Formats: sequence, C-alpha cells, structure tokens
Amino acid sequence: MGWRSARALSSVAYQELSFQSIYALRQGNVLPSSDPPSLVATARRRVFQSKLLIGLLLGLMGAGGGLALSPTVEHFLGPTAPMAVYQAAVIAGVLLLQLSLLWTTGLQILPTFLSSRILPTLETLPVDPRDLDRAAFLLFVRLFDTPALSIIVVTPFAIGVALHSVWAGLAVLPGALSAVILAFGLSLATGDFFVRRVVGSPTGSLSTTIRWMFLVLWAVPAFAIYTFISFSPELLRTLGSLSNGNPTGLTGLLLIYPFPFAYLPSLAGPTGTLGLPTANVLVVVAAAFAYAVPIGLLAAWLVRAPRRLALGVPEVAARRTNSGAPLHPTGAVRALLFKDLRTASRSPGYAFVVLLPILDAAVIGLSTFVGARSATNVFNLGAAAVATSALLATFFGPAFFATEVMGYSYTRTLPLAPRTLLAGKVGLVVLIYALSAAVIFGFTVARVFSPWVFTAFALAELPALVAAALIELGILFKVSARRGLAVTNLYTGAWWATVVVLPGLIVAAAPLGLFQALHGQEDALAAMGVFSLLELAIVGPLAWLWTRKGYA
Amino acid sequence: MSSPTAEELDPLPLRVDSLTVRYGALTAVDRLSFTVRPGEIYGLLGSNGAGKSSTIKCVVGLQPAASGVIRVFGRDPLRDTLEAKARIGYVPESTLLFDSLSPREFLEFVASVRRLEASRVGERVGAYVRALDIEREFDQPLATLSNGTRQKVLVMAALLHQPSLLILDEPLNNLDPRTVRILKELFGEYVRTRGRGILFSTHTMEVAQQLCHRVGILDRGRLRAEGTLEELRRRTANGEASLEELYLHLTEAEAGVAAAVRELSGA
Repeated sequence: MGWRSARALSSVAYQELSFQSIYALRQGNVLPSSDPPSLVATARRRVFQSKLLIGLLLGLMGAGGGLALSPTVEHFLGPTAPMAVYQAAVIAGVLLLQLSLLWTTGLQILPTFLSSRILPTLETLPVDPRDLDRAAFLLFVRLFDTPALSIIVVTPFAIGVALHSVWAGLAVLPGALSAVILAFGLSLATGDFFVRRVVGSPTGSLSTTIRWMFLVLWAVPAFAIYTFISFSPELLRTLGSLSNGNPTGLTGLLLIYPFPFAYLPSLAGPTGTLGLPTANVLVVVAAAFAYAVPIGLLAAWLVRAPRRLALGVPEVAARRTNSGAPLHPTGAVRALLFKDLRTASRSPGYAFVVLLPILDAAVIGLSTFVGARSATNVFNLGAAAVATSALLATFFGPAFFATEVMGYSYTRTLPLAPRTLLAGKVGLVVLIYALSAAVIFGFTVARVFSPWVFTAFALAELPALVAAALIELGILFKVSARRGLAVTNLYTGAWWATVVVLPGLIVAAAPLGLFQALHGQEDALAAMGVFSLLELAIVGPLAWLWTRKGYA
Repeated sequence: MSSPTAEELDPLPLRVDSLTVRYGALTAVDRLSFTVRPGEIYGLLGSNGAGKSSTIKCVVGLQPAASGVIRVFGRDPLRDTLEAKARIGYVPESTLLFDSLSPREFLEFVASVRRLEASRVGERVGAYVRALDIEREFDQPLATLSNGTRQKVLVMAALLHQPSLLILDEPLNNLDPRTVRILKELFGEYVRTRGRGILFSTHTMEVAQQLCHRVGILDRGRLRAEGTLEELRRRTANGEASLEELYLHLTEAEAGVAAAVRELSGA
C-alpha cells in the first residue's frame, strides 16, 4: 500500500461524502425517486459546481489583486504610499482575503466531513494506519482542491502579469501556499472544536447562550474579509506615513503575517526593496523564513489530522436532567422557529447564515458610525446597514430551508401544512432582520437623539423583506410540487439557487432603490413604505397559492 | 349535528389497493393490495428489498406511488394529507432524527406540530420516559445517544397523540430485551381500544408470529400470501409449521437456503 492505494480509498470516500452532502441521507432526508447511478452522478456534479464557484471567487480575488497593481488603480488607491509598499499591501490583502474565504468555506464543510462517519467505516478494513492517514488527508484535500488550486495558480499568475515579472509571480507562491495551509489548519482545528465540544453540550439557556457565543466567534473569519475591505484605505494611509517617516515602524508592521510573504514579489520584481535599509529588508525576508517553519510543521500535522479528528466523538457534558419537568408544546410556527434556532446553535453552517446579517449590521454599524460626522451621515449609514442586512437575510432565506434536511423524512410524516412551514421560515427571516435592525438602532440611539426616522426606514423595508422571503420560498414549494422533489433537495444546485434568490433580491432591493432615487425629497420614506406594502400585497397571495400543494 | 369523523366514514384503518412503486426502471412494489382492519396488528413480512419500506413510505406520504390507491380511514394521504397524517403514528426504520435536539425538545416539537395540549401530553410522556428508562438521557442531544435510546424516542413520538393507525417499520431494532417485551405487550394492548390498527413491518419471523393477527408475505414487490398463521398453515398443508418455515416455503426460498448453506460451508 502507499499513496496510490490511499488515493483509491479516498476516491470511494469522496463519492460517498459528495452523495451525503447533496442528499443528506444520514441526516434523515429521503432519496428522490430516480435511478441510483444518476443520483450519484448528480451529487458529484453539484459538489464540483460548488467547488468551482468558490474557486472562481478566489480566482477573482487573485485577478483583482493583479488589477489593483496596475498603475491606474494604484494611482487612485495608493497615492500616499511608495509603489513597493503599496504592492506589498495589495498582495497581503489578497492573501488574507483568500485565507479568510477558504477558512470560511472549510467551516461550512468540516462539521459534515468530521461527523459523516465515512472514515470510521474505512477503519474496519485491514489497511495500514499510515495509509488510512493518507486516505483521510487526500479526501480532505479533494474537498478543497479546486479552490486551493485557484489560489496557488491564479494569484501568482495575475501578480506576475501585473508586475511584468515571472520571478515576482513565482515569489507569490510561498504566500499562496501558506494561505492554503493556514486555512486548512484553521478549518480543521475549529471544526474539530465544534464537533467535539459544542455538538454534545447540554440543553438549557446558559449552555445555549455559550454555544451562540462560540458561533459568533465562528463567523468572525468571514468578517475578516469585510473588515479588511472597510479598513484597507486606512491601512494604506498608515503604511504610507510609516514609510515616509518611520522605517523601523514600517519594518515592524511588515513582520506581521502575511506581509513578509507579500513583500517577496516586490523584492523579486522590478520595484526592489521599498526604500528600506538593507538590514531591515533582511529582517523581513528572515521573517518569511521564520513563518515558513511553523507553517511547514502545520502542513505535516495536516497529513495525520483529518483521520484523527474524524475518529473522535462528541464530549457529552455530565448534567442532571429533570425528566419530570413538563413539556411545553407551542404553536406550530413557533415550534418550527425554535427547532431551527436550536439546530443552528449546534450546526455552524446554519448558524453562519443566521448570524451573518446580524454581524454585518454590527460591523457596518461600528465601523461607520464612529466616522459619521452628522445626524444625516448617521441616518445614511444606518440605512445602508439596514439595506445590506435586508439583502443578506433575503439572500440566505432559502438556505434556511436546508435546516429542514435534518430529520426531514420524519417531519414530512407529521401533519404540518406547507403554509405553516412557510410561515416558520419567513418568521426566521423577519427575526434575523429585526435583530439586525435592533443592533443598528442601538448605534443610532448612541449617535443621535432622535432615531425615529431610521426606525421608520427599517419598518418601511419590512413588508418588502417579507414579500422577498415569501416569493423565494413560494418558488421552492411550487417547483417541489411540480417535480415531486423534497424542497431541501432543490436548493443544492447553483442554477436553482439563482432562480430562487434573484427574484427575492429584486423584491427586497426595489423599495431601497426607490428611496435612493427619491433621496432628499420629503415623501421619499412614505413612497418607499407604500411601494414595499404594494409588493407584499401582490406577492403574499401568490405565495399563498403556490403553497397550496407541496411536500411539507 | 356534527359531521362524521373519518373513522365513522370508513372504519378501515388502512386500505392499500394495487400499489405500484418504481425507482426509475426498477419496480420495487408491484400491484400490492392489503388492508389493516380495526383491532388488528397486520404484519408485512419480506426479505431485504422485498418492498416493505417502499410501501410504508407511500402510506406515510414520504414517497409518491407510480399507481394505486391508499386510504387511511378513507382519506387519501396525498390529497387529504393533513387529515391522514393526523391519524398516523410512525416509527421509521432508521433512527435518523434531529441530532441537535434533545428527546425533550424533539417531543415538544412533535407535540406542537400535532397541536397537543401540554396537560394531556405531559403525563403521557412522563409515563413513557419512566417505563422505557430514558430519564438520564432526556435532556441530552440526540447526537450523543445510542441507537436504542433514539429508537425509544421515536416510539414515544409515534404514540404521543395516541393515533388510530400505528405504522411500525422494524420498531424493535436496536432495543434491549426488557424494552422489546414492554413494547410487544403495549402494542397488543393498544389495538384493543376500539377502531385502532397497527401495520407492523419486520423480517423477524418470531416477532411477527408472536404479535401479528394476520400477515402479508411480500417477495420482490409482490404479495405471495396473506392470512392468519392458521390460514397459512392450511394453505401449505403443514399444521405444525412455524411462520419462518411457512415464509420460506411460500417464497420458494427453502431450496435456496439449503444451497447457500452448502456453498458457504464448503467455502
């Protein structure tokens, strides 16, 4: 046995993991009535599409980095910093963004990978443990192969082209590799922590609160992207001023990961040493080598880690139970809402889509309200934060149906009307929007005395948000009834995601667009509210009709 | 005057008529017909892949049939979905549930969807928790519980609303002998209440012989024989035969069993 045999084992495991990730049979879903071979092919195709999509996004980031290095954009973005400092900052930014996105993707996939029970099945075979390590590692890598290749190939190519230097392009490789290895390591470590510590944590309000706090931390890497974009002009200005007046400070800053790697292309390219003294340049290059050591050790750890982590079991907290305590049945819609929130509190993938709009509100609120100079600014920025939260909640609306995958075959045997299910999901979208708006409201109250205009704005958007959620979920129901498929199975292809999400985004964005068009006019807010209500009046009955039938 | 209930309209808990289920080119169930009568435990017997679970999935509304008629107390599970499902309690073959919920949270969810009153359901759940001995696990996430405990939770959920039709797909899998005994006694008692019926799917012949009033023997999607143990014995002219022997005889599997044993012994 060796790597070749390990590859054969990992291929079987990969097919199974693709199948489970699309059809979620181990989570209680049922298979559609199709030929089994076509189901396998569909699963593989859809997993590849997902990887391709993430790979494209990462490739675009790399290409964007190359574009940002072009003289025109450089003049526009980085006039205060010397050219080479600007180049290092752009490359560092691209590497950080790619690392964050790959880590975020890993966080979505890893819990499924670790809890899929595929690797424990391989353990029963008479195979050398080292080959099992390799098979687990290869399986793990195959989940991220297209995105990782995109980082390792597209980014060096784009930077090399932009800097007109093959050497500069090649010098990006260590940084790109380090970003991939770090993202893999962080995904595995945090995924393991979640499966081990959070999945088995007991019920109860204190444990649930702690779990949600973990989940907020969990979503932080995604916000590294956001925060970096928000603060990049500030960072460039800091770099510029440091390079003009404080070379030692600049060197110190350049020692922080990923700057040492980001500096290498500039050094290898035509721009040279950033104007730093040779000793300082040597320190930065030495830092790149110093970072390479722990990253190399991490890479070695990665070969054995996937198997070891996949064989672990959740740690069950000892807790006294009170089985005599009464049950508290509620209304069906509320029960669905609670069930989804409880599921999300133990499933990072779902928790992420619940938290994203709320954290978005917090990040935009915090970063922009600090800089807003007048009440008008505060309102404009608050409105922008509400708008993005509304659009994010709408964007992820259909993903909330994915939580129905859990135990779905059982839920469908219950007397649950499609409209009740729809109401539960719309309720979740509204709850997320309300929490986001409340966060922004908090910032508004802190900055201006009378935040009522902002409140009116948030309320004016609410009917459009409900209409957007209704149209998205209504389409899902309609198609499921026509095709005889479970609604959760429909939302696994990029095409259906587009068909479902696009109309919702248009409905949610239309009143915001109207408000923007009428901005400054006295009745802008009233017009937005009326338009929003009108949308709900049209979409509501449509969704009501569409959910007459369907699998619920 | 109040309108008649479904049970009054059609007292037959379950009627399946010419049911056909297909997966692409594969016909899993072929023109299957049977009924579950009031007061009866009907055993659906068959080997692996005989079509038992496909039949059950159609009855509980998980899967559309290619053709045929299914009626639960006269209601079509596809057209009158909610009315039919409200009368069914279902224990699925697999214990795949909401891993992130505890048994308490799961039962609360089921009770909420079924619109059960807290006072009505609380006492019942308390009794089941004690009888099935899951007091210690009641507030732990299902992900951390054994398959047996999960199976107990599924049985509790199926009985929560005291349905008129219980559909049990291998309900005794994974359970300890004490619980198996309790549940066998419980199911026997359950159908003594007027109008109730149980559809019991299994491939364990001893359990079916002890528990079922009538059985239907399914083989490669077709119903080979149906009746009480005595009727099947008369049909095969073997007055002392066990249900296992009858099953092997009726599915013409006896010769295959002997050949397989010979081949494996020599292997």
